[in-house]
Amino acid sequence: MSNLLKFSDFGPDSGGRVKGVVEVKPIVYGNVSKAFGVKREDGHTHQWTVYVKPYSNEDMQTYVKKIHFKLHESYENPNRIVTKPPYEVSETGWGEFEVVIKIYFHDPTIYKPVTFYHILKLFQPQSPDAATNADGTPIPPIIDTKKRLVSEFYDEIVFHEPSQLMQQMLNTIQPVITAGTWSHDTDFEDKKVKCLEHIQETRKKVKDEIAQLKEKLQQTRDKITEFKELMGTEKKPQ
Amino acid sequence: MGDMFREILNIEQPPTPELTKESLLSKKKNGSEKKMTKRPEGMHREVFALLYKDNKDAPPLLPTDTGFGYKQNKAKLGMKKVRRWEWTRFVNPARSDGAQFCHWQRVSDEPKEYPFAKLNRQLNIPTYTLNEYNTHLRMNTKWNKAQTDYLFELAQRFDTRFIIMADRWDRDKHGVKTVEDLKERYYEVVGILQKLKNPNSDKKIYVFDAEHERKRKEQLKKLFDKTRSQIEEESMLINEMRKIEARTKEREKKTQDLQKLISQADQQNEQAASTTPQARKQDKKKKKNTLPVQQKINKADAVTSMETAAIRFGEGVNKGTGIAMRSQKMKLPANFGQKRTKALEQILAEFKVDPNPPATEEICTAFNDLRSDMILLHEIRTALAASEFELETLKQVAEIKQEIAD
Repeated sequence: MSNLLKFSDFGPDSGGRVKGVVEVKPIVYGNVSKAFGVKREDGHTHQWTVYVKPYSNEDMQTYVKKIHFKLHESYENPNRIVTKPPYEVSETGWGEFEVVIKIYFHDPTIYKPVTFYHILKLFQPQSPDAATNADGTPIPPIIDTKKRLVSEFYDEIVFHEPSQLMQQMLNTIQPVITAGTWSHDTDFEDKKVKCLEHIQETRKKVKDEIAQLKEKLQQTRDKITEFKELMGTEKKPQ
Repeated sequence: MGDMFREILNIEQPPTPELTKESLLSKKKNGSEKKMTKRPEGMHREVFALLYKDNKDAPPLLPTDTGFGYKQNKAKLGMKKVRRWEWTRFVNPARSDGAQFCHWQRVSDEPKEYPFAKLNRQLNIPTYTLNEYNTHLRMNTKWNKAQTDYLFELAQRFDTRFIIMADRWDRDKHGVKTVEDLKERYYEVVGILQKLKNPNSDKKIYVFDAEHERKRKEQLKKLFDKTRSQIEEESMLINEMRKIEARTKEREKKTQDLQKLISQADQQNEQAASTTPQARKQDKKKKKNTLPVQQKINKADAVTSMETAAIRFGEGVNKGTGIAMRSQKMKLPANFGQKRTKALEQILAEFKVDPNPPATEEICTAFNDLRSDMILLHEIRTALAASEFELETLKQVAEIKQEIAD
C-alpha cells in the first residue's frame, strides 16, 4: 500500500513541516507468554511473543518502515528487525528482560526512530503457581500451558508538526482485512476510563491528606516554638 | 692510568697539553667526525647498539672474560698537570690595624684585594651634638643622655644588631632595657635627627611600633608555652563551635523548607478549591475583602515554592517538532533523585495506582499532577515526622529539666 505514495510526488517542499498540526497514532505493545509446563533441555520454560500493533485496525506499514526489537544479549542474533506486519518476535526463554523497541518511519526527514522499552513478562506476579514452583513440585501441565499471560500497554505515537509527506501517509491509512473484529486482549477503553477516574480520585485523597497533615504540621511547629520560648524564659532567670 | 702512576712516582713523562676549553671542544669534534659504522638495513636498533658501543670498536669474535662487562668506566680524571698553590701573605683592607695573615693561593692567580673585605659593610650611624640633644632629644623621659649615648655607642660597635646590643647592654650602669626599648629609642632619635638635617627631604622616616612588636612577641611566647592538653582543648572547642554553627544553620534551613512546604500545600488547596465551581462561588464572596493581601503573599510564595515541588515531567522531549511516544511525557526528569523515585513508587503502590497507565494525553497530565502532589505529600509526611520527633525530644528535655529543678 505504501507503494501508492512516492517521495517524488511531494517535490522539494516535502521536508516542510505542517505548522500547528499534531497527529496521533495509538498503538499497543507488549507480550504474550505461555509456559511449557516442563523445563526443556536448554533450560527454556516459556514460549513468548513480543509485539507492536496499531490500536485501531490500520495498516501500520503505511508510515512505519521497520520495527527493531532488541532482545537480551544471550539470544543468538538479539537485534530482530521486522519490516512487515505483524510486527512481532516469537521466541522461547526462561527469564524476563527489557526489550528495546525502536520504530523507524518512512519519512526521510526523520532519521531517528522513537524508542521505548517493554519488560518481557513470563511469570504471573505472586501467583500461587510460583509458590509450588519454588517447592520444586511439578506443576500440572494442563493448568499452566492453557494459561496465556498477557502484558500489554497502550501508548500513542505523537507526530508534532509532521512533514507534508508524513501527514499524507498518516491520513491515507487503510484498514487491514481481517476475518474477525479488531480487538485486544486488554479492554483499553475501559481501562482508560477507570484509570483516569482512579487517578482523579487518588489525587483528591492525596490532597486531603496533604491538607490534614499540613494542619498537623503547623500545629506541631507552633507547639515546638511555644516549647522553645518556654524553655528560653526558664533559662534566663537561672 | 699509566700517566697517573708516572706522575705519582715522579717519572719523566712527555709534557701533556693543559686542558683548555678549545682542546676539549676540538677533541669532541674529532670524535664525531670518526666514521660511523652504518646500521645494516633490517637490523634492529637495539641489536646494533649491542654491537657498537661508545668506543665504536668492532665486536669481539671470541667470548671475553675480562669482567668489565657492562660496568661503567671509573670517572675520567683530568690528564693535565696540577697547578701550584702557595702560602701567601695578604692584607685585609677591612681591618684598621693592618694585621697580616696568610692563606693558600694559586700561583697563577694575580694578586688582588682580599675578596671578603667587601663584606665588611660600614653603617652610617647618625650622630648628634649636645646642643641637638638638649633641644630635640630630651623629650623622652625614659631615657637620659648617658643611656642614649651608650645606645649609640653600642649601635656603632655592633652595627645596629639589636639583639647583640641588648645582650651587651650594661644593666648595672644603665638599667634594664629590652630589645624593643632599644629599637624604639634608636629609631626615635634617628627619625628626629633626619627631620632636623633634611627638613624638606621626601625620604620616609621609619617609625618603629614598639607596642605592636611587644604584643607580637608576647603572643608568640604564649603560643610557644602552650601545653599539649591546652592545644587539644582548643582544637576540641573549635570543633564543637563549628558543629554548633552547622547545626543552627541546618535548623534554620529546615524551618525555612518547612515554611515553603506549608505555603505550597496552602496553594494547592486553593487551586483545588478554585477548580470546583461551587467552591469558587463561595470563595469569591469571602475573598473579596481579603483578596489583595492574600494574593500578594501567595505570589511571592508561588515563585519559590513552585520551583521546589512541581516535577518537570517529560524533560528533554522535543516539544516543537518530531515524533515522540506519548508516554515520554510521563518520564521522570533526570535530576529526580533515587530516594524520591523510591518514595514515589511506594506512594503509588499505597494508593494502588498503576505505574504505567494507558498513555492518553488526559491521563498523562492527570498522572503527572497526581505524582507532583504525591511528592509533596511525601515531603510533608517526612517533615511532620521530623517535627513530631523534635517535639518529643523537647518534651523529654523539659521533663528532665523539671526533675533536676525539683
